[in-house]
Amino acid sequence: MASTGKAVRPRVAVAKFASCDGCQLTLLDLEDQLLEIVSRFDVVEFPEATSHHSPGPYDVVFVEGSISAPEHLDQIKALRKQARVLVTIGACATAGGIQALRNWADHDAYRAAVYEHPEWVESLAMATAVSDHVKVDAELRGCPIDGGQLLELLTSVLVGRRPQIREEVVCRECKRKGIVCMVVASGEACMGPVTNSGCNALCPTYGRGCYGCFGPRTGANAKSWSAGLMRSGRPPEEVWRLFAGFTGYAEPFRSVLTELGKAKG
Amino acid sequence: MITNPVASPTAVARQWFLARSDLDALIQALRKAGRTVIGPTVRDGAIVNDEIQSAADLPAGVRDEQSAGQYRLAERADERVFGYTVGPTPWKRFTFPPILPIATAHRSGSFGFEQPKTVAPQLAFLGVRACEIAALGMQDRVFLGSPFTDEDFRARRKAALIVAVQCTTSSSTCFCSSMGTGPEVRTGYDILLTEIDEGFVIQAGSPAGAAIVAHLPTRQPTHAETGAAVDVVEAVRTQIGETLPIAGIDQRLKRQLDNPRWGVVAERCVECGNCTMSCPTCFCTSVTERSDMEGRISVTERLWDSCFDINFAKVAGGDFRARPRDRYRQWLTHKFSSWMDQFGSFGCVGCGRCITWCPVRIDVREELQAIAPVIQPIERPVAVEPVAASPGSYSIARLASVREETGDTTTLSLTDLDPAFLSGRPGQFVMVALPAFPAVPISISRFRANGIDLTIRAVGATSTALANLHPGAKVGLRGPLGTFWPIEDAYGRHAMVVAGGVGLAPLRGLVEALVANRDRFESVSLYYGSRTPEDQLFSDDLVAWSASKAIDVAVTVDRAGPEWKGRVGVVTTLFDMMSCDCSKITAFVVGPERMMQASVQSLISKGVPTERINVSLERHMECGIGLCGHCQTGPYFVCKDGPVFRLSELGDLYAREGI
Ligand SMILES: Cc1cc2nc3c(=O)[nH]c(=O)nc-3n(C[C@H](O)[C@H](O)[C@H](O)COP(=O)(O)OP(=O)(O)OC[C@H]3O[C@@H](n4cnc5c(N)ncnc54)[C@H](O)[C@@H]3O)c2cc1C
Ligand code: SF4
Ligand code: SF4
Ligand code: SF4
Ligand code: SF4
Ligand code: FES
Repeated sequence: MASTGKAVRPRVAVAKFASCDGCQLTLLDLEDQLLEIVSRFDVVEFPEATSHHSPGPYDVVFVEGSISAPEHLDQIKALRKQARVLVTIGACATAGGIQALRNWADHDAYRAAVYEHPEWVESLAMATAVSDHVKVDAELRGCPIDGGQLLELLTSVLVGRRPQIREEVVCRECKRKGIVCMVVASGEACMGPVTNSGCNALCPTYGRGCYGCFGPRTGANAKSWSAGLMRSGRPPEEVWRLFAGFTGYAEPFRSVLTELGKAKG
Repeated sequence: MITNPVASPTAVARQWFLARSDLDALIQALRKAGRTVIGPTVRDGAIVNDEIQSAADLPAGVRDEQSAGQYRLAERADERVFGYTVGPTPWKRFTFPPILPIATAHRSGSFGFEQPKTVAPQLAFLGVRACEIAALGMQDRVFLGSPFTDEDFRARRKAALIVAVQCTTSSSTCFCSSMGTGPEVRTGYDILLTEIDEGFVIQAGSPAGAAIVAHLPTRQPTHAETGAAVDVVEAVRTQIGETLPIAGIDQRLKRQLDNPRWGVVAERCVECGNCTMSCPTCFCTSVTERSDMEGRISVTERLWDSCFDINFAKVAGGDFRARPRDRYRQWLTHKFSSWMDQFGSFGCVGCGRCITWCPVRIDVREELQAIAPVIQPIERPVAVEPVAASPGSYSIARLASVREETGDTTTLSLTDLDPAFLSGRPGQFVMVALPAFPAVPISISRFRANGIDLTIRAVGATSTALANLHPGAKVGLRGPLGTFWPIEDAYGRHAMVVAGGVGLAPLRGLVEALVANRDRFESVSLYYGSRTPEDQLFSDDLVAWSASKAIDVAVTVDRAGPEWKGRVGVVTTLFDMMSCDCSKITAFVVGPERMMQASVQSLISKGVPTERINVSLERHMECGIGLCGHCQTGPYFVCKDGPVFRLSELGDLYAREGI
């Protein structure tokens, strides 16, 4: 791929399931690079920017959103067949997203409470990550994703290198920036010790604890961190809310939530 | 600046006094000399090191309170500006930046790599403490001490002028005195300040420092002032004490690579790496590439990284430190052991940052003491001088009665014996001899007013001969021998007795002592496992203890017939019933080797400290007095240094194959 000329621009599609479109918008927000991106990639399917549709196969498919409705099940399988590289983007696609909170609740009761005609709403009882259904080649985390990481992923496709995206916790970025750890210095709650970096410690930079929107770092010790949060005096309900945000359905947050669910009854 | 460690005698001798109200003159003199001053200032609830413009930016009247995982600011009763200890910012931040472009590369037109030239800012570090001067020295050895050097570091280090400050207070997390790095600043500074009530006693450690001091509105200090400056540092030294027994820890750690505690601490550690990032000596980095979309121009950035990173030791074929415990072990053994091999000193200066800034409150001092404790020359309070304590010599006793305990185990009650035997302590043993049979070691299973009991399982020649004796028979005894159960270790704690099979024999005397002193313990419990219900020893005692309520008794058997109504399963399955704070348990464990190992593992994993786990080792013994050499286990003669040991004394000798 290293010498991809314009004539053989990789074909890129962006597909969407249950999501808010914020991640797709991150691509449009890369204003300075947008011209270069479209000159190097053939963006053939992009609901947020065009109504133009073009059949596969595609070199790269970015998938936004969780698998949440009955028709998604077949759609994602079909899409996988058309994709050489499938990249999930955002908390919804990588972890189930905020809508996965229903996975712990009574789905029918929720639906009845929210919609006037629940019978018109077709949705699955669970909202799940794309990787629960098909093989995923790369992930971009976050709610929404980080533009720099998206650019790096596109660049790595062109250059042919491993994306320079680190599997490390938010604390690393926080420490490199010289932020005073609020867990230690003020007893604030923060999901940084178990959450993957990539946001450049955005929330701690603005004086508040990490929400965990980039989801668990591979192998994160969520169990110890939930115990740590409780040791500093937080009741299980509160710790439950901290883990249950955008990425609660991703392991190992999921297991912690199941345990906490038992604890809070 | 990298200063000459031995300041010139005149500079050392010379001292000045600067009033606190004139401290700004120092900061302005440094700025006038073209330096940016980095010093302590309050930000976001902590005292960080950052650029300061004037003395008004310093934390006057502020103190800090630090403990594992916690940092808070509070007010001081006075207006001192350095009345606190180290904050979250290590000085390496300014000599070894957290993110640094180290190369650019291009392949459009020409092909090449370039190293950016460091233009090091002229900085003055104000408020550098003794431990931090030591840390800068350690990084000097890492980055400049080999033929391969980091020139960026060299440039930044050279461009920094060090204004050191003597510590006048300490935190619970400080252990510089143990590491030999503080609290007193002795070398490595350009200017040194000691804060006393009205101001500062100043010394210069280099010509550059002296040149700055020459511009200050100083005067001669009084004798009282120079005396106060000495006293204040001494007071801090006393306040800190030697919290960590450090001598030899590098070697002790090398023997503990398999210690199960690595797994225990790794269950708590969240691998945030905050310890290594806050540590003033940690130097590990990773690089990441940025480039244009075609990869024609790229920049290599170096980032602070940590051995806690999950990809840090990965190769294509796998990960050399795949488990969290491997990574925790790398951190601790590097700082306190292999750093010594690499650079000739510890990699820790005792600043305590890794303790304060660990969000799950792990204290390296506690881990070190649990993993590689100092094996104290075991104090061996001799219960009583043993009798017949020479080879071939025995004291005679008469067999009063015999009681069959189980199919193969018999209790012999001995009487008419030397009174020394009556003064033995639970856990001790005797060598028992019959003419024509080799003597064997047997534990004292009960102390009675006029004699002792031995409970013997007939496993071979001597033991069978002993079990077959009739009342009135005589035996030879040497003893009482060996160490006994440290019952005081359980005062105020949960006393937990764990026995397997005939292992209850050496524990029966202990159980009786625990019951007799029940008030001294938080709780007393006995966990007893035997192969079958028929193999249970001391059934009457078990029933009586259960009924007494003084002690919780739980029994189990490995296998049983239909008439058995109790529990079936190995003894460790009983531990799941425990509902107390396991760190407050003191355990006493005896049984077959496999059962002891399983029990010990389980207790450690539940958090029982290894110095509170006592085991009795069964080893081949022929003399019982340290002369025949049979019972040696590592450095110990089990007959006289044991048989009762604290697990921490054994370290990883315990359960190690082939020792
Ligand atoms: C400190 C200590 C306290 C002990 N307390 C008791 C007790 O209270 N009740 C009890 O029944 N047993 C106890 N033992 C074990 C007991 O010493 C052996 O079972 C006994 O020595 C076997 O001797 P034997 O001549 O009957 O067997 P042998 O026929 O000589 O051999 C049978 C087995 O016993 C082992 N053995 C033989 N001689 C010794 C020896 N001198 N030291 C250790 N093991 C040996 C052999 O290796 C073999 O496996 C204790 C051992 C020690 C070290
Ligand atoms: S503030 Fe949060 S992210 Fe930053 S070091 Fe502390 S725990 Fe980690
Ligand atoms: S700071 Fe504590 S939790 Fe974080 S890596 Fe270090 S020891 Fe583990
Ligand atoms: S290991 Fe801990 S105490 Fe030692 S120098 Fe590093 S941060 Fe300070
Ligand atoms: S402890 Fe870890 S991060 Fe620190 S210097 Fe050693 S290997 Fe590097
Ligand atoms: S039994 Fe002889 S030296 Fe220990």
